[in-house]
Amino acid sequence: MFRRLTLLALIAILVMPIGITHARQETVTIKFWHTYNETSPENDMLVNTLIPMFEESHPNIKVESVPFPYGEFRQTLLTSLAGGEGPDLARLDIIWSPEFAQLGVLSALDETMPDFQDLAARVFPGPLSTNAYDGHYWGLPLDTNTRVFMYNPTLFEQAGITASPTTIDELKALCEPIKALGDDIYLFSDGGTYGWAVLPWIWSFGGDITDPEITTASGYLNSEKTVAAYEFLAEMVDQGCFSPSYLGGGMDTGTGYFTDIFASMLDGPWMYPIAEAQYPDFEIQAAQMPAGEGGSISVVGGENIALFAGAAHPDEAMEFLRFTQSDEYQLKMSEVGQLTVIPSLLENEYFQNHPYYGAFLEQLKTAKARTPHPAWSQMEEILTDAGQLILRGEASPQEALDLAAEEIDELLAEE
Amino acid sequence: MRSKLHHRWYVPYLFLLPGLALYILWMIYPLGYELYISFFNWKIMPGQQSEFIGLENYKEVMHDKYFWMALENTVRYTAVTVGGQMLIGLGLAVLVHRVFIGKRIFRTIYYIPVVTSWVVVSFLFQFLFSSHPGGFVNYLLVSVLGVLDKPVMWMSETKTAWIIIYVLGIWKGVGWTMVIFLAALQGVPVELYESAAIDGAGEWQQFKNVTLPLIRRTTLFIMVALVIGGFQAFVSIYLITGGGPLHRTEVVLSYMYDRAFDRLRFGYGASLSYVLAAIVVFVSFIQMRMFRQSD
Repeated sequence: MFRRLTLLALIAILVMPIGITHARQETVTIKFWHTYNETSPENDMLVNTLIPMFEESHPNIKVESVPFPYGEFRQTLLTSLAGGEGPDLARLDIIWSPEFAQLGVLSALDETMPDFQDLAARVFPGPLSTNAYDGHYWGLPLDTNTRVFMYNPTLFEQAGITASPTTIDELKALCEPIKALGDDIYLFSDGGTYGWAVLPWIWSFGGDITDPEITTASGYLNSEKTVAAYEFLAEMVDQGCFSPSYLGGGMDTGTGYFTDIFASMLDGPWMYPIAEAQYPDFEIQAAQMPAGEGGSISVVGGENIALFAGAAHPDEAMEFLRFTQSDEYQLKMSEVGQLTVIPSLLENEYFQNHPYYGAFLEQLKTAKARTPHPAWSQMEEILTDAGQLILRGEASPQEALDLAAEEIDELLAEE
Repeated sequence: MRSKLHHRWYVPYLFLLPGLALYILWMIYPLGYELYISFFNWKIMPGQQSEFIGLENYKEVMHDKYFWMALENTVRYTAVTVGGQMLIGLGLAVLVHRVFIGKRIFRTIYYIPVVTSWVVVSFLFQFLFSSHPGGFVNYLLVSVLGVLDKPVMWMSETKTAWIIIYVLGIWKGVGWTMVIFLAALQGVPVELYESAAIDGAGEWQQFKNVTLPLIRRTTLFIMVALVIGGFQAFVSIYLITGGGPLHRTEVVLSYMYDRAFDRLRFGYGASLSYVLAAIVVFVSFIQMRMFRQSD
């Protein structure tokens, strides 16, 4: 009898842990890496509002959010993936999606996600298309944006300018009155000659980087119209109308704009929350990109959310991915400058009465995307270097662009 | 028993084993593996096939204009910073050597940059040389000293970007050269100066004819060590200019890092580092021969 009791007790002790683990629901932690800006309210919205909201409705999933500075993110992510230490999900600049897809590190959502088609049908086709590569979709759009022309009302008023320039010629005419305000005041500024900065000028002048099929840059990047765009930029920088920050390492464009040093810039909707938080008295004035021969064409930005092929918890990660496509996530993020990718939401009262999204939605109608190609990062380096040679007066626009077109052609031939 | 153990040939190796094993694991194995990688179009992502391409990477290095530019920059960086560190280090050593009170304090102060992290001081210099009119150096040059009438955009011009990197490289290493020179100066017998003084040698002649010849070995040692370090410059350049503008402040290691970790061309990066290693070994070999001839 005693022996039997002992045996039973032993069995009970052995079995007990199994019972306990079964009773407690297993919690899974998913890793989400992104570039939501830590100094702006968007990261705060993610960490303090949206993730808790998700975790409440999914008690078995914890989301570990890791923010990175934009400039370091691509490389950090690549290195981590190579070492097998990558996240489950990442928010990728739309321009990185083809490269990561080509590396084979992303999960093809159209195959792995049963409800992918439903989600895809809900979003703008343009941003969705930035996830396409090699016949599959490697992510879903998270937010979209473009750059609009923002001017500094104080400087414009001091210079006696009453209306925002609608054409590039009108913009050029504002150079003198702004320069009259002081040697260190500039009409316009940007942080360099990378694609995001120069493409609106190239396109608005009627130029381009490659043919629509992305097979050659010759005849596009070194075309008469692209050359004219660079000639314009070089002239403006040379005359001190556009700030020397174009050469890199200068004053941050946003800071200069808010502190009455730069009279205008091209920038995105995230500047509004930044202004609200850091320069509460400043009123951003937005207008469309000044038009040239090619029209008023700005550059489409935005981010996708991608699931990694090596994700430790793909199902739970997919749950969070679905959450980012929900109305509540999209609307909350829209409050902090992350424009929604869901057109039906734009009917929402929030957008109908919105103080600043109008200008962006209008500009998005004509805005174009940077070249969706796995080698974009390398193409952009060639483009950036050519722009530097031109703006430093070390090569004529035609020379530098002929050479850059040749280099990009070689790159495209390799693929 | 004891004598038997003593005679077994492998006993010393047993004692060497722990250190040797770590050395092989952390030094020899990665070096060998890197050499292996340098013969491949190496794919870093799990599941991708790497392709053996023989010496192609090395051939490409020889025709890569950015490599030659980076090498030229590396050599110039080494020449400028090694020269600067040695001259200033020697000057400081002579001064500190003459001080009787607070010698230790001076030594410590000059040595602090040496033991400070490269990352910390690189960010510090980036901050000091900010292009903003309120950046410390700009403020000093424009508003306090009035040497310039406009703030300098340090990072956007190649020349001014190099100034930051050179100044940092020299400032960071001067404490080390000073300490070594100081030790050498203390080893020069006082009698020699006394007899030189009796022979009518002035300060400068004493320095030239007594001090310099007697610290020659130390000087060569410092030079060899600094040159090897100069060729390995990376952190300050990567953090301050990132090789820009237009790759013009790129040194071999920053360029290698860019190809490997940004372009994911690890095979090419490996071959770049082997080419650099060959150059460093060659330069050191020549210096060692100079060392020997001087004796």
